[in-house]
Amino acid sequence: MEKEKKEKLLDLFRSKLDRPMRYYLDVCTRCGICKDACFAYASVPKAEYTPVWRAEVVRKIYKRYFKWTGKLFPFLGESKEIDDETMKQLYDAAYTCTGCRRCMMYCPFGIDTQAIQSIAKLLLIGNESAPEELSMLADASIEKGKQLELYKASFVQAIKNLEKEVISKWKGESDQVIPLDVEGANILYVALAGAHSIIPTASILNAARENWTLSFFEAVNFGAFVGDPIKTQMIAKRIINEAIRLKVKEVTICECGTAFRVMKHLVGEQPFKVSHVAEVMARYLKEDRIKVERDRIKGLITYHDPCQSTRNSGVIEEPRYVLQQLTSNFAEMTPNREYNLCCGGGGGLVALENEPFREETGKAKVNQIRETGATIVATGCENCHTQLKFLGERYKTGVKVEFLTNLVANSLVLE
Amino acid sequence: MSDEIKVSKTMDLKGLPCPQPVIKVNKGIKEIEVGQILEAITTDPGALSDFPAWARTSGNEILKTDQESGLIRFLIKRMK
Repeated sequence: MEKEKKEKLLDLFRSKLDRPMRYYLDVCTRCGICKDACFAYASVPKAEYTPVWRAEVVRKIYKRYFKWTGKLFPFLGESKEIDDETMKQLYDAAYTCTGCRRCMMYCPFGIDTQAIQSIAKLLLIGNESAPEELSMLADASIEKGKQLELYKASFVQAIKNLEKEVISKWKGESDQVIPLDVEGANILYVALAGAHSIIPTASILNAARENWTLSFFEAVNFGAFVGDPIKTQMIAKRIINEAIRLKVKEVTICECGTAFRVMKHLVGEQPFKVSHVAEVMARYLKEDRIKVERDRIKGLITYHDPCQSTRNSGVIEEPRYVLQQLTSNFAEMTPNREYNLCCGGGGGLVALENEPFREETGKAKVNQIRETGATIVATGCENCHTQLKFLGERYKTGVKVEFLTNLVANSLVLE
Repeated sequence: MSDEIKVSKTMDLKGLPCPQPVIKVNKGIKEIEVGQILEAITTDPGALSDFPAWARTSGNEILKTDQESGLIRFLIKRMK
């Protein structure tokens, strides 16, 4: 590797070395408790699927270049040079970790493996070996933010095409179907690009007679998946600017765990409230703003807690409250809530496809679902939904995967 | 297929959720030669804004977009 590139990578590494990060890199005793917390290791007990192994790749570079022992005696101890081989190891470490942070729940020192892997991802960007798909998707999102006027007309047309389906789900009175660009709306709903993310929620918001408006931008933040802090901010900023322009009171993020966590916790305080759509549905049900027919949906339902909205953002009881209104036939997975196992699709892994890895490391999740005896697994995250559906097909579980919003929209009743 | 435009490759992306259509097109365009045309058919309404944004950032050109009964069809020319 050229000297200039190595220096550039070390500058990037240095930019991440704040006090918490130095703590995460310094304190590990390699007790190994984290290994049993990892969904990947629980499925396939390989050393390279342990959080500590992944962290050690980064930690050894830290020891080599940022600790006096490594600087003076690089041949001693466990330091590692930055070279092409190390970059490959960083890739394997970063992209076999979904950033679910379950290991952090068990680590006696609270070491945040995802934070450590954010160094690996940043170095991969600097080395131009980050996954091209994720960078491409992040760039396309930023492009839409820069040139909205170019894409607005086609988006409006696409939304118009969905209106019939919204009306078919909610047959009550409503003077709106999918409103766009409504200044002063209570809620700016930020969906994903697919119809499945827009139609059910539009029906629910209309049933609640909410004054809402749909964002022109998709919620998903590929900048966060690829680990680029600047792109993460730029992508989120499109939505923040839209919310400020429209003077909305609340920004409601669709069923996308990472999008919610980024907006709620990673881009600073905003002049509006940030909510997950599960929180909004629970609120409407508690306030009797929407009514649902209990047990219209047949079969035993379980709930998969998305790591980013549950463990990492605190949306824990609201989805359960919603499900209690929908069914009397509910079973929890074990473990659940903030201790739930990751499905293996987060951190951009679903977008990267990488099906052999996703299949083998999803085994623990499949067993967890099977043990409930459920016929439906509900969830509140697009990545989780895609991964759970994929696992259901590969392991032939016969368990249907449903979004919470879809279950609620299909259970709506007229007052 | 268009009468005037010769399509070199067709990708059926119906039913695929976001962001799979763009990811697959990004791969598919590399499987044709520069100057050739890729036809992509999707049901994802977000593709109407996602595909043009991807084309601008990747330096490719969308020649035509048609919509009919829930299907969206793009003709994309590989430019580089």
